[in-house]
Amino acid sequence: MSLDQTIVASPPATVLQVRFHGWGTGLMLIAAWLLLIAATGIYRADFISHQTLLAVAFTMSIVGVLSIGQGLVAISGGFIDLSQPAGMITASLVVVRLSEAGMPLLVVIIGAILAGMAWGAFNACIIVFAKLNPVIVTLATNFIGLAALFLVFQLAEVPQRSEIYAFGRASFLGLPAIWWPMVALVLVVGFMLPRTRYGRRATAVGGNRMAARARGISLKATRFAVFTIAGGFVGFAAVLFAATSGPFNPGSGSAMQLNIIAGVILAGISLAGGRGNFWMLLLSVGFLSTIPTSLVFFGLSSDTQSIFQGLILVIAVAIDGLRARRGTP
Amino acid sequence: MTDLAAKRDAYVIPHHPVRDLLTGSVASIALTFILVLAVGLIWVGPKFLSFGNISIMGSFLVVPLIVGAFAGFALLSGVVDLSIGSMVGFSSALFATFLTLGWDPWAAAPVTLLACLFFGGINAIAIVGFGAEAIAATLGMLVALRGITWVLLGPQGSIFSFNPGLFALVNQSVFGLPLFFLLAAVLTLLTSIMVSKSRLGRHIQAVGGDDRAAARAGISVNRVRVVALLLSAFGGGIGGIVFAGQLGSAARATGVGLEFQVYAALMIGGYSILRGGVGNPIGGALGLLAVAGVSNILDLRSISPYYVNIIVGLLLLAAVLLDRFRGGDAYE
Repeated sequence: MSLDQTIVASPPATVLQVRFHGWGTGLMLIAAWLLLIAATGIYRADFISHQTLLAVAFTMSIVGVLSIGQGLVAISGGFIDLSQPAGMITASLVVVRLSEAGMPLLVVIIGAILAGMAWGAFNACIIVFAKLNPVIVTLATNFIGLAALFLVFQLAEVPQRSEIYAFGRASFLGLPAIWWPMVALVLVVGFMLPRTRYGRRATAVGGNRMAARARGISLKATRFAVFTIAGGFVGFAAVLFAATSGPFNPGSGSAMQLNIIAGVILAGISLAGGRGNFWMLLLSVGFLSTIPTSLVFFGLSSDTQSIFQGLILVIAVAIDGLRARRGTP
Repeated sequence: MTDLAAKRDAYVIPHHPVRDLLTGSVASIALTFILVLAVGLIWVGPKFLSFGNISIMGSFLVVPLIVGAFAGFALLSGVVDLSIGSMVGFSSALFATFLTLGWDPWAAAPVTLLACLFFGGINAIAIVGFGAEAIAATLGMLVALRGITWVLLGPQGSIFSFNPGLFALVNQSVFGLPLFFLLAAVLTLLTSIMVSKSRLGRHIQAVGGDDRAAARAGISVNRVRVVALLLSAFGGGIGGIVFAGQLGSAARATGVGLEFQVYAALMIGGYSILRGGVGNPIGGALGLLAVAGVSNILDLRSISPYYVNIIVGLLLLAAVLLDRFRGGDAYE
């Protein structure tokens, strides 16, 4: 591959926009998170407990894995993947059917990831070949997918004596077993994205697609790969979801959507593409996952949770817009 | 494909009234609508176009038609307001709350509309003032408003607010059709005239079509977008009040998912979520009628309503593809 030569040979007319975040976002997120914990802890001392930690870690796990997929789509200039709920429920159904057939855990996980990737590739086909905007394509495929799923099943659940059921309830070092793979994936993706050729290509396409194409990066191949890999993360999230959710119906995954998008934006992964540090996802998703538990301790109903989550998203998007307008990271 | 696009751009086709009539956005949705009518007549029989059936469909369509007519302004100016569905729910809950407090409907309605404009103003500040991504910001507002609605409705999840005078007014029939359906049709016509003939309508179209060119022509882009977002919130407010009048109550499910129903229909009707400046309220209304016709046909044939969602999703993709062929931006 003569990518390096091309970069040297081409005139420096357009700057390839690849910027990575400083640590300002991280400090802000840590401060917000600590403030939330401290405020709740002062109001109700029993908030600081192992029980709270478990609740937060549980919420974090599935949202965290899905936000990696969402972040990959966003950083490569695909805006938002609105079809994650349909993709996750499809893969969860695969998990249920495979574990009902008595397959070992590894086969179940691989099956789910492949199902998620197939869903991502299906979206990518429409986006790349029909050249349609991903937001609308995924809006429509989510619509179609959920309706088709409702025709296929109403309620599903992994069998109680399966390995995956045990995995969903196991704990490791005092935290849920499902929390650890999420952390590992965020760390690995956050490490690889700015350091490998493919990660940099995806980021470059999101930053400035014309400049990226002038450097010989195939937009079609990159888009296809990004959506398929993001689908793989959705598939893995489905494993965690099916293992812990109990009986679920096709609509069960839709409530997470907002937290995922808010998590990605708060982490500083711009919806405009090309910028972001995936390690920040641990902080943003952790902060957002603490809010529901915290509100319960403040004695507020679960309805108020939506008000806070919604307003936080509005504020986060406004900050993102201001940042993009100023052009500073 | 890029070569093809370049070639197409090279031959600039002059405007031709007859061809425009056949290939424009209103034409394709009108054809779709006629097709739906034909399928309905053949498959369901004359019952499909009976007054009773149209009247039932009409009263279901009142709120989507009103909301769609106003939300179209935001789309035309190049911003999407996803919060309209929740705005309808919020407005109906607030209006019902005022009625249970013993307010007169004519006093409760303006206050409810002001509250809706307040939240529409927050949308406008975030999107126009801070440059927030409209889809994500209004998605946040969607969830926040739903939370406020649920808090208003309290633990029972619904407010019973039956007002005999209001109920009689909203559910009145004229010539065998619901009065408010006819009013919504008149509103659609008025907005259509406003879009194509009035100064504000043309400014909105210009801003949506090319905001830089509009700014150079001396139009205040920000002010036009703020007005469009406020109009969209206002439409949601009116829709919610009519909803509360129709049902005599407000519930948690009121307005949930309405935004997808309305935007899918508007896009099938020739609007575009991605670029402003295209679409027409009449096309949008025909889109809503076509989708309602499809779901009515499946309903009368007692086929699962989930097939409606599949058909609407496919129609949506087809409409976006058609919009791209008509000159919409290709996504690469």
